[in-house]
Amino acid sequence: MSYRVAMDIGGTFTDVVRYDETTGSVVASKASTTPHDLAEGVFAALGRVVDDPSRISYFVHGTTQGLNALLERKGARVLLLASTGAGDVYRIARGNRDRMFDLRYRKPAPLVPGEDVAEVDGRLDWRGEELVPLDEEGVRRAARRVREEGFDAVAVCLLFSYADPRHEVRAGEILREELGGAPCARQHDDAQRVRQHDDAQRVRQHDDVLVVLSHEVAREWREYERTSSAVLEAYTGPVVRGYLAEIERRFAERGLGVPVHVMQSSGGLVNAAYAMRRPLQTLLSGPVGGTMGGVAAARLLGRRNAICVDMGGTSFDVSLVVDGRPDVSAEARIEGHPVLMPIVNLHTIGAGGGSIAYAEAGALRVGPESAGAVPGPACYGRGGTRPTVTDANVVLGRVDPEWFAGGLMDLDVEAAGAAVAALGEELALDPLDLAEGICAVANAKMAQAIRTLTVEHGVEPREFSLVAFGGAGAMHAVFIARELGISEVVVPRFPGAFSAWGMLEAEVRRDLTHPYFRPQDVLDGADMARRLAALEAEVLEALAEQGVPAERRRVEHAVDVRYEGQDYTLTIPLREAGEPAGPGFPAEIAARFAEAHTSRYGHATPEAPVEFVMLRSTGLGSFPRAAAGAPDVTGEAAPAVRDVVFDGAVHRTPVLRRAHLDGELAGPAIVVEETATTVVPPGCLATVDDNGFLIVKVDQ
Amino acid sequence: MIDPVTTEIIRCALVQAAEDMNTTLIRSSYTPVIYEAKDCAVALLDRDHNVLGQSSGLPIFLGNLEVCTRETERRHGPEVWREGDVWVLNDSYIGGTHLNDVTVYGPIFVGGDLAGFAASRAHWLDVGSKDPGGSMDSTSIFQEGLRLGPVKAYEGGRPCVDLHEVIGANVRFPHATLGDLRAQVSCVLMGQRRLTEIVSRWGLDTVMAARDEIFAQTERMERAAIAAIPDGVYRAGGHLDNDGIDLATPLPVNVAITVSGDAMHVDLTDCADQALGPVNCGAAQAVAAVRVGYKLLVSGDVPLNGGSFRPLSVETRPGSMLAARSPAACQYYYSHLGLLIDLVVRALAPVMPERAAAASYGDSMIVQFTGTDPRTGKLYVSQEATVGGWGAWEGGDGETCLINNVNGSLRDMPIEVLETLFPVRVTRYEVRPGSGGAGRWRGGDGVVREYEFCSDTSLSLWFERSVTPAWGLAGGEAGAPPRVTLNPGRTDERRMLKVNALPVTAGDVLRCESGGGGGYGPATV
Repeated sequence: MSYRVAMDIGGTFTDVVRYDETTGSVVASKASTTPHDLAEGVFAALGRVVDDPSRISYFVHGTTQGLNALLERKGARVLLLASTGAGDVYRIARGNRDRMFDLRYRKPAPLVPGEDVAEVDGRLDWRGEELVPLDEEGVRRAARRVREEGFDAVAVCLLFSYADPRHEVRAGEILREELGGAPCARQHDDAQRVRQHDDAQRVRQHDDVLVVLSHEVAREWREYERTSSAVLEAYTGPVVRGYLAEIERRFAERGLGVPVHVMQSSGGLVNAAYAMRRPLQTLLSGPVGGTMGGVAAARLLGRRNAICVDMGGTSFDVSLVVDGRPDVSAEARIEGHPVLMPIVNLHTIGAGGGSIAYAEAGALRVGPESAGAVPGPACYGRGGTRPTVTDANVVLGRVDPEWFAGGLMDLDVEAAGAAVAALGEELALDPLDLAEGICAVANAKMAQAIRTLTVEHGVEPREFSLVAFGGAGAMHAVFIARELGISEVVVPRFPGAFSAWGMLEAEVRRDLTHPYFRPQDVLDGADMARRLAALEAEVLEALAEQGVPAERRRVEHAVDVRYEGQDYTLTIPLREAGEPAGPGFPAEIAARFAEAHTSRYGHATPEAPVEFVMLRSTGLGSFPRAAAGAPDVTGEAAPAVRDVVFDGAVHRTPVLRRAHLDGELAGPAIVVEETATTVVPPGCLATVDDNGFLIVKVDQ
Repeated sequence: MIDPVTTEIIRCALVQAAEDMNTTLIRSSYTPVIYEAKDCAVALLDRDHNVLGQSSGLPIFLGNLEVCTRETERRHGPEVWREGDVWVLNDSYIGGTHLNDVTVYGPIFVGGDLAGFAASRAHWLDVGSKDPGGSMDSTSIFQEGLRLGPVKAYEGGRPCVDLHEVIGANVRFPHATLGDLRAQVSCVLMGQRRLTEIVSRWGLDTVMAARDEIFAQTERMERAAIAAIPDGVYRAGGHLDNDGIDLATPLPVNVAITVSGDAMHVDLTDCADQALGPVNCGAAQAVAAVRVGYKLLVSGDVPLNGGSFRPLSVETRPGSMLAARSPAACQYYYSHLGLLIDLVVRALAPVMPERAAAASYGDSMIVQFTGTDPRTGKLYVSQEATVGGWGAWEGGDGETCLINNVNGSLRDMPIEVLETLFPVRVTRYEVRPGSGGAGRWRGGDGVVREYEFCSDTSLSLWFERSVTPAWGLAGGEAGAPPRVTLNPGRTDERRMLKVNALPVTAGDVLRCESGGGGGYGPATV
């Protein structure tokens, strides 16, 4: 008997899911997250689901360690090494303003202050040909500064390193030679070190200084974005490395030889050894687990497309599964800092159970301001007096007091009613009408966020299933689905631990890119095919390094294409690495691009010349999956009945435990479980399928 | 009487509809001016030409797309609107801006009834002016390119081939330009689709009732914001350096703002007559600039719609630089508008110190070069705006190296992209130290951007605000003015701020230094 275990370390709770490889049974639990020492919470959560740790055959987790370091500004102290004349690129940050009507605009605060940027001579041209040789002595000077001033990491971003990395590679060699392994920081006592962090020892648990080369992080053009990516890796890397080393050490202490896997922002897995080399990839490790859960759910349900909605207390995350794949972008912004890396597209809006409803100039507004955890919604009974979306649900009878927050919290129904009534008076609305109105506005906003995401992709929401999870997702899902013309809502088992479950179902993934800037008229197809073949060899090797057996490795190739003069590219899949060498390739790829352009933007210009920008190879490796066993139906219990308001009328509504569901259930009904409540309005039909998914057919 | 729930849902849907239009435009445009510089705007209008929802990449396009549908209807009558038609207009005296800004708009019919309009405006890279990309020394609109509209680009859903041929034959980059036109049409179609969905769901009467309520709510918030300002007449003035032709004559711009109860009136009549050089704009654009200044200072957080500017009136003087008449040249229509925005803030600063800031470096500071790329043999045009310093305020230093106030999401051109696309090298891109005005709170610094040309090229420059550099507030000092040097330190070194189509040769070096922002409060010694 052996277990596969997945864990999602969130801000408050560490969710854990255990899969029994023999029986196919799945168990979920959670433990409090322990911010001072995340490993503590990890092992506590592990203890909840696994009696004998030696039976763990596989362990994967999503960690927010790097992201927390960024949010709390507790990352490493970084020296940035830049090309002469371009040292201020990071500070200038492309000079744009995100808010138009703000006289006092501030750019995102740089993670490296201006005085910690060093310039070094050496310059390549746009093709990567050398104009000025690298000043090696200048690099050594920077290394000395790192030692003397006690920096934790060095980020190197030299102009045109994506075209030819030779200067960066050489700078990296020198820096590692000068710094690597040397217990540099110990050469000086603390008083001498110019440190801004009192917790520096926690930040750097390795003696060696982390050296980050921008082309290794992101081999793409645009120096500010590449610098920002390298700086983020240098800033969060030492923290992530320290944490992963600690986890591995403690597993080893317990005699476990289990390779620790980590979720990447791309939705793919890597082992800890790799994640320690490329820590940036773990930055959004947690939230993307939900999307990968959506991918797995779509596969199990035989659906091609899914919209994944994760609604918690303060925010609402939407992501897409299109044609069975997660929607992954090559670029994102985190806390205002751009990063060039494959990253699951998560669209976040400030709408959650805690969103506050208020009146403004006679208008009803809902969110984005949230009541947070303290004081929280009025119904928490912690002194909150402003009505929230959760309070509206309470007033409508959609929250069962017995099951509220898994039964861990007393529900103050009266306080919720008073808060809603007070706002109702202000707006001259009956409290029940207002409560439904608050939910309707919140649902409309969430539906619009989804629609926007689908507009960006040129897809129609009504062709999707809505997969709802997070504490509040299932309560609103059917209403959101109606707004979008979606006919099926899927509530997975353990909606509160869905991200962890998604990680269990994800594949190993490695992404390689190669800049390949060529106008159509000078394209040499054989050359492109050779380049792709080299990428394929490299990516297969990377999969081998991840322990993926040969028969489970596969590689997908694609090329970024655009019309000459455009900036945004479309990533067009290729059939295989050798495809560009074929005689019909130019016409074929142009046609495929025109089709993609039409589907995404509604128009194409077949006669316009195209250009190629980037080659992409993705290596994927799957783990064997056992069929999930059907959940145990623990038998019929007499359902409780409550008064619940739908469309202005009170309905006598049964409240059922999810574990008791069997067969079809016609709305109105409320389905409760520990981590979530599903609302099935009148006219809708709910069933539980063989995989344990609760599926609601939505009337339109 | 419509309930607040339905009103709010409809309001959110209209705002989102405009965002969807904007997304469609930016994602499908061809040229960097739109997708990179966000030199574009979209609006969803009701059938009375009021803004239902809008999204703008460029603040200066604030709330003046509706002049295009209004003018079309004024000329041809309300029966001119037909389902499936899409119109084009770039007339400077209607839209207010230069001919490069092309507005594409169409009526939206739901069940046979006119429900509203969708409009998008975007900067076309080239409209056939005498110099590629636009001239800095034009003296008449007829030198500035193809002037269109209102004319139809699509009729009954079909492209008007004649117009497409005319455009294709008159612009230097027909593929990209017609591509951008199609992107704008996609954007209009998206707006049509969204408004149709909204009207189909609730019915036109309900949507119109919601509209009335939304506008009334916004107007109440605006009036409350104005009522909080003490009554009085507030004035400020400054000068544009010159008109680009007669470099010795500064041109005055003055504002007089009267706050009276919950209404504000802005008098722009005291400014220079329309100039010979291309520094003029149509009145619509002067109104837009005042709105930007107002939004920056008074009510930046109030949502934008047809109720936003009801309490704000603007008076211009026809024939002046701010309300030009044909055939005034309008290519650089925005330099005095940046100044005007700062002046609105300055005028009201004494009574709104908690929201004001000192002046910013002030203009887009354009560097343009064009020629034949020896690497490809093709014609190219590179046009960049330059970042600079912003003003300080009570409690904060001004931001360093930020794009100017008429622009918004405009991002600088990465060195790696610029050198790949054009035969040029960027040798320095640095903060210009000490250029921000001194003060208790310092003005932000400008930038130094230095180019080395790799082939012979034709250089045009438009740097402004040396006569009225960024002023300080409350005793803070002014920021440094801009400075541009060709071949610094060489015997042929030359200083200039504005120049049109100056031939430069391979190896020449151009150093551009933008101004800093003004300081706030006296500097302590």
